[in-house]
Amino acid sequence: MNPYVLFFLLFGLGLGTTTTFASSHWLLAWMGLEINTLAILPLMTQDHHPRAVEAATKYFLTQATAAAMILFGSTTNAWLTGQWDIQQAIHPLPATMVMLGLALKIGLAPMHSWLPEVLQGLNLTTGLILSTWQKLAPFALLLQFQTTSTSLLIALGLASTLIGGWGGLNQTQLRKILAYSSIAHLGWMALILPFFPSLTLLTLIMYLIMTLSMFLAFKLNKSTNINTLALSWAKTPALTALAPLMLLSLGGLPPLTGFMPKWLILQELTKQELAPAATMAALTALLSLYFYLRLSYAMTLTTSPNNTAGITPWRLPSTQSTLPLAIAATTSLLLLPLTPAMTALLKL
Amino acid sequence: MLKIIVPTLMLIPTAWLSPAKWLWPTTLAHSLIIALFSLSWLENLSETGWTSLNLYMGTDPLSTPLLVLTCWLLPLMILASQNHTSAEPMNRQRTYITLLTSLQLFLIMAFSATEIILFYIMFEATLIPTLMIITRWGSQAERLNAGSYFLFYTLAGSLPLLVALLILQNNTGTLSLLTLHYSNALTLSSYADKIWWAGCLLAFLVKMPLYGVHLWLPKAHVEAPIAGSMVLAAVLLKLGGYGMMRIMVMLEPLTKELCYPFIILALWGIVMTGSICLRQTDLKSLIAYSSVSHMGLVTGGILIQTPWGFTGALILMIAHGLTSSALFCLANTNYERTHSRTMLLARGLQTIFPLMATWWLIASLANLALPPLPNLMGELVIIISLFNWSWWTIALTGTGTLITAAYSLYMFLMTQRGPAPAHVISLDPTHSREHLLMTLHLLPLTLLILKPELIWGWAF
Amino acid sequence: MVNFVALAREHWVNILVPMGFVIGWYLDKQQDQKLTAFRNKSILFGREMKEGEEVTWK
Repeated sequence: MNPYVLFFLLFGLGLGTTTTFASSHWLLAWMGLEINTLAILPLMTQDHHPRAVEAATKYFLTQATAAAMILFGSTTNAWLTGQWDIQQAIHPLPATMVMLGLALKIGLAPMHSWLPEVLQGLNLTTGLILSTWQKLAPFALLLQFQTTSTSLLIALGLASTLIGGWGGLNQTQLRKILAYSSIAHLGWMALILPFFPSLTLLTLIMYLIMTLSMFLAFKLNKSTNINTLALSWAKTPALTALAPLMLLSLGGLPPLTGFMPKWLILQELTKQELAPAATMAALTALLSLYFYLRLSYAMTLTTSPNNTAGITPWRLPSTQSTLPLAIAATTSLLLLPLTPAMTALLKL
Repeated sequence: MLKIIVPTLMLIPTAWLSPAKWLWPTTLAHSLIIALFSLSWLENLSETGWTSLNLYMGTDPLSTPLLVLTCWLLPLMILASQNHTSAEPMNRQRTYITLLTSLQLFLIMAFSATEIILFYIMFEATLIPTLMIITRWGSQAERLNAGSYFLFYTLAGSLPLLVALLILQNNTGTLSLLTLHYSNALTLSSYADKIWWAGCLLAFLVKMPLYGVHLWLPKAHVEAPIAGSMVLAAVLLKLGGYGMMRIMVMLEPLTKELCYPFIILALWGIVMTGSICLRQTDLKSLIAYSSVSHMGLVTGGILIQTPWGFTGALILMIAHGLTSSALFCLANTNYERTHSRTMLLARGLQTIFPLMATWWLIASLANLALPPLPNLMGELVIIISLFNWSWWTIALTGTGTLITAAYSLYMFLMTQRGPAPAHVISLDPTHSREHLLMTLHLLPLTLLILKPELIWGWAF
Repeated sequence: MVNFVALAREHWVNILVPMGFVIGWYLDKQQDQKLTAFRNKSILFGREMKEGEEVTWK
């Protein structure tokens, strides 16, 4: 791709998200979301491949629908209450509509089915942008506007953790697995959103770090399905040894970083007398853990026999810089002892 | 406390930096030194029972024996795994030692935590190294299945435990073991409180394991390499008993009504798993089922909540830890020579390895609780306190003891006596390493006869 | 003549665990002092020390 075009598109991505971050007006926030969507579409189709075009089309249609719902909701709100401010109280009807629009935008169950399909059609870099940067703008809105229906968010959250775990069980494609993992994590964030928004932010940050490390690791390995993972010991032995820990951290097993958001969320939910919901969310995390465990089995815990071409890719070392991966992997493993610092930092 | 933890931590760089030919002697010697230093915890002069306190950790008479057992087991595991890892590349051997060391680190922190949440985190943290030991270093393809069973049985029990603990924290305001006794008694009456009670205990009952949720244990034992089996039988199961004894304090009024099904399952499990042992052909599986049977007795002793029950449970846990670990080592010496766990294929070993037969005899006798050994003391104390709780229990515990004797005899006769098949005549001779390993298992066990106060817990 | 350089190169790792012990011992001691100071200041346990009584923490 032409570097000027690439710069323009990346600039658009940044601009869209920043606009949404900075706006207190629904219309401007919607504009930011739209700029964001339009900027990533050419990035998605940069490998002119039918699968990429299909993914871009699906992404465009869902995002356009979601943005239309948000626009419709905020206009209705302006019509009913006479103001466009995001932080002001919002009428329950448009609130639900905007909420559903945002849920569709980030891919909360039951509006999730576009996410695995779209992610599978992209290359790992664009997939990384889609599952990290693209979540920020909708979350900025989710955190700001005042939701009235707690039960809607709890229902969305529990459905997402359940479907995120369930859907990933029989996947063999890494990008689809990461998409389902994303759905499950978003479910945890939605679950805690009505009670403790800054905890949602913490969970989002932890999710971004862990997903970043996983995507970078898969990119370094050039692997997009479980079978190619089995060769990673021949390419990057140290990463292969760490990968199961990163995956289990994504699954939320102590003493790794991924346990921190789950722990704090469960604590807050029990404080809100929602112990059944907390138990259910915790148990659905087991479903996700199962496919993370299967990835670890395939990647590290078994070494299958292979031919010479299969086990000598270390002769062709990758040119990808490993520093970001090293930082992301370290933080996605070792942050649990720093829980007090993290909570203080986010004023939990 | 850090006197032991920091050196244990330093074992990891030692394992990575020591020259290849010195790797095993160095780590063995240093872990043994750490184990010897850990004996100093046994001297407890404190009035409150708690000693070696810092802000997060401390030991009391309940956790000290388990801590010392944990520290004692690391050199034994290193000694035992030397042979079967010797064919692997150097880096993998170092990784293996790192995993064993990190497991010991998590276990020390679990047993010495004075905050239940820290205990919980470390309880869960032990899963990761154990899982890797089983699924990476086990030998058969079924090890992956065993690993999944191990992980998911434990987690399905312990995630509700986390929620239950957080509820407890919301109600009492603290989860510190030092002050939990003094917090206001909870009023537990509703149906939800009963579920909470089950949530508090279920994780530990799965870990023990209670009969009915024990299926993960034989699988894990059979598939794990020797060090994994040793640590699983000797220490990891004891996390369950330890956790139960700690949390029991808070469950006070409910346990009396709700414990019946669990006690029945535990006692029934003694008879059932003992019977399974009687018709077992797989040596490691037999020892694993015998662990389930012994742990059933421990569960029963804990659930009736008498001081004698707790004392007996702790004694039996320590004695069983050493005995079952010794039996797994013996099974492994056979396995490394015949490459089979089937007992029928290696009979009559007494004529070929006479000294090893002595170790087999002592370990089997310890397993069936021969009089002066601590195993007998533990079983007797538990059986007496159960008998005091209800007369009918003697039917199950008595039958259980009989069956234990029967399958221990069966195991001894099957492996040591009988005709020696032609193929066992050309087996490798035993190493002094293996005899040292057995000595280090059985020496503490016999020495504890002389001073059982060390593992009595609170009862003196 | 023993070759000390080779000996040191081969066996220097043996110092790590004893070093850990010393560090741990030092940290333990510091923690003990901190907790003792806290106890002596606290209303529940703080009291006048007898002649020659040592302030200890067990």
